[in-house]
Amino acid sequence: MAVTQVKRIAISDSPIPWLLPLVCLLVVFTIYPLIYNVWLSFHEFVPKKRTLKFVGMANWVQLWNDTRFWSALGVTFLYFFIALVFEIILGMAIAMLLDAELPGFGMLRATLSMTLVIPPAIAGMMFLLMEDPQFGVLPYLLNTMGLLDKSTPILATSSLALAGVLVAEIWQWTPFMVLIFMAGLRSLPAEPYEAAMIDGASSFQMFRRLTLPMMSKVIAVAVLLRGIDLFRVFDYVFVMTSGGPGTATYTVSLYAWQQTFSFLKWGYGATLSLVSLVMVMIMANIFIKVFKVRW
Amino acid sequence: MHQSTGIRTLRTIGGWLVVAAFFFPIYFWTSVAFRNSKDIFNWPPKFFVFEPTVKNFEQVFGVSLGFGAAEAVTPGGGNFYMAPRLWDSIVVASMSTVLAIIVATLAAYSLSRMNFRGRHEFVNWVLSTRMMPPVAVAIPMFFIFKQFSLLDTYLGVILIHGLMNLPLAVLLLKSFFDDIPSEIDESALLDGASRWTIFRRIVLPMAKGGIAATAVLCFIFSWTEFLFVLTLTQTNLKTVPVVSSTFVTSIGTAWGNMAALGAASIVPAFIVILLVQRHLVRGLTMGSLKQ
Repeated sequence: MAVTQVKRIAISDSPIPWLLPLVCLLVVFTIYPLIYNVWLSFHEFVPKKRTLKFVGMANWVQLWNDTRFWSALGVTFLYFFIALVFEIILGMAIAMLLDAELPGFGMLRATLSMTLVIPPAIAGMMFLLMEDPQFGVLPYLLNTMGLLDKSTPILATSSLALAGVLVAEIWQWTPFMVLIFMAGLRSLPAEPYEAAMIDGASSFQMFRRLTLPMMSKVIAVAVLLRGIDLFRVFDYVFVMTSGGPGTATYTVSLYAWQQTFSFLKWGYGATLSLVSLVMVMIMANIFIKVFKVRW
Repeated sequence: MHQSTGIRTLRTIGGWLVVAAFFFPIYFWTSVAFRNSKDIFNWPPKFFVFEPTVKNFEQVFGVSLGFGAAEAVTPGGGNFYMAPRLWDSIVVASMSTVLAIIVATLAAYSLSRMNFRGRHEFVNWVLSTRMMPPVAVAIPMFFIFKQFSLLDTYLGVILIHGLMNLPLAVLLLKSFFDDIPSEIDESALLDGASRWTIFRRIVLPMAKGGIAATAVLCFIFSWTEFLFVLTLTQTNLKTVPVVSSTFVTSIGTAWGNMAALGAASIVPAFIVILLVQRHLVRGLTMGSLKQ
């Protein structure tokens, strides 16, 4: 009796049975796709014979010489940086504005966070309608303000298309930053501010010397989580522009997807997605190390 | 900090204006769902005044609300009644949530309570799986699903959505379990209770609220997911976001019907905000920030 008792505790105290289901599923979801992608990147689909053929380094050589890939990478980085800068600055400004107990502010904060649970594909369609050159709200407003000629189709003009997509992105995800920054602002201690007030510091000095440094961990987490999502942007470009006009909004994810499923270049698509994966991993891990983000 | 009445007034006005600007697209979209095409395609665009109609909803959902006959919209020639598609979304999102929660509560409990070598590295590994670009998973999954006849099946999409939500669920639940003092576990262990009994009888009931919040977030991430469903299904099932993209056809876009679908898909958004507002930040940051 006593022996089984001891044995039961010993067995149940091992983390293995608790973690096993998770490990099995994650291996299927991460390790397997990784290995499969590597394997696929050395092969190419032959549509006529409906088989895969070993092509050695051909996909990797093609990648190196593919101007379309380099342009997609450029677009991805541009999208990444512009969205991140806007979302951080706007998010911080709005968080500081709304971080007050004024009439109705609780409801305002709840309303703002609604954008986060709308499917991005549907938000993209929503902005597609609002940016339509014939009857859209956005061209109308820009036209009235004299910023843009009415007849300019935003999403079909190469210099404006990325901005047109970014409007949807920034609209949907700035509230994410607002919520996180607001949670950070709530947790700041009051004493340093009181001391600074007595010393006669200006509000800008307090923001620069107190708020920003104390918020650095919160900002790092927000940048990390949003950055991971930004680098693999797919939904908005797929529904709003399909990468066009030309290559103006082609991102790496979209390019990889199209190569695989539209052009049946399975091997090349896998190569592209692998490159995207490796880049996210490297950037995120450097970021985690540098900013000491911990879970 | 003390602020003068002037600043408070300015701040109130500023706050309302900013949120109104962010809310406008949601309002506009919903209003389009209630418009006739002449009010949708009008220039200058009509912001607030239009002739309301429920025709778009009747067409999309294939039901008559008593304001005229219901006809199915047929972009691309297919039957487009939406009710089955909403059902697809609900089945996929709820079943994948169940899967993620069962696997994640077990793992999160041991990560929160048991000290073993490599625990920190393990947590980092779980987090790193969240960094996989969906396209890097979707491509190999397409081929393995093809091999096991999982393409275009509920089981396939449920599995992939469950897997997709695992890192979030594990890290979030771990942070909720960490909040429950481990002294409770230890005294129960001394009394001879097994880990399993403690988990079932003590920790799970105490973490109910956190588990519910995690479940709601998993549900919404599955509800909004696009790329996997687009890639791994054909005709048997389609979730709402994927259907929305098929409304753009070579013969034009059925904007009114699209908007009706969009408006219907925003309903879960309202519910979620009501249910998990308190836990939303924690969920979105996977528990790395506690509120």
